[in-house]
Amino acid sequence: MSITSDILRGHTEAIILSHLLEQDSYGYQINKDIMKKTDNRYELKEATLYSAFKRLEQAGYIRTYWGDETVGARRRYYAVTENGRKAYQSYKSEWEEAKTIIDQLLK
Amino acid sequence: MNERIKKYLDELFENAPKTRKAMELKEEMLQNSMEKYQDLLSDGYSEDDAYKSVIGSIGDVTELFEDLEEKNLLNLSEADRRKKALLTSVAVGLYILAGAVLLASMVIEEMMVVPSNVECVMIGLLLAVIVCIAPTCMLVYASNMYPAYQKKKEDLVEEYKEAKHLSNRDKAVRGSISTIIWTLVVILYFTFSFSTGAWHISWVIFLMGGCVEAVCSLIYSLRRKD
Repeated sequence: MSITSDILRGHTEAIILSHLLEQDSYGYQINKDIMKKTDNRYELKEATLYSAFKRLEQAGYIRTYWGDETVGARRRYYAVTENGRKAYQSYKSEWEEAKTIIDQLLK
Repeated sequence: MNERIKKYLDELFENAPKTRKAMELKEEMLQNSMEKYQDLLSDGYSEDDAYKSVIGSIGDVTELFEDLEEKNLLNLSEADRRKKALLTSVAVGLYILAGAVLLASMVIEEMMVVPSNVECVMIGLLLAVIVCIAPTCMLVYASNMYPAYQKKKEDLVEEYKEAKHLSNRDKAVRGSISTIIWTLVVILYFTFSFSTGAWHISWVIFLMGGCVEAVCSLIYSLRRKD
């Protein structure tokens, strides 16, 4: 289990980018989607989520804006930038390659 | 019920730097936590269990605080720093050239190589002042290359620093303007007096100089307010 969560944590940023490529979203929504997609097997700690947001923003891969909710608190949305899109593509192909190699080695 | 989550976050952020970024992070976390709390309640959780689950998923946020201190943006980039150094050294060189011109004119006058009715020192002085205009402009430009002071923390001390920084720039510009004005006034005074011989009245130029300086400083401060 610890190997799984370590590997998953190492890919937090790519996971977030992948979600944002579908549509702009905010912290809780992203986490909810992750849980849904993994049948509740995986959930990000909020601290992990926010530090990933920050790194992505500093790298220029995502940008942020505040929603205009009329009821309750405003949501902070995130959107992928063009650089983020490119970074995701190269990340994805690197991951595919790593996956193939590990599959070949761990038979 | 929501108050408990808010209180928890308040305590969590107690030691966070008091910056806009920290406030925004808190607002973001509060909003997300509230939404999760509501979802858990509608899933049939009790208020207590929902609260525990929300708090449990927050994790350790203290590492997030470290980067909320914004970086010092006052440093010039390497290219700008070189440009500034170049401007300053060329300016100093030009000042030295101006001094040399003045000195040369005195030497020429002393050696009487030109007819005595030509005011050689006066011409030298005039040339020297004209040469001085360019380096003065360069220095003013160089001193304005620093970006407007970037706030690190949005508190009173930083606002004071920013105000002070602005007024320092202000002072530099005003200082340069008044230096230029008074140098020109002195030149004008001597040129006028030597050429007309009206020494008894030419001192009025200094009064006019004072007037011009006051007008300039007025225009400058009016423009700043816009």
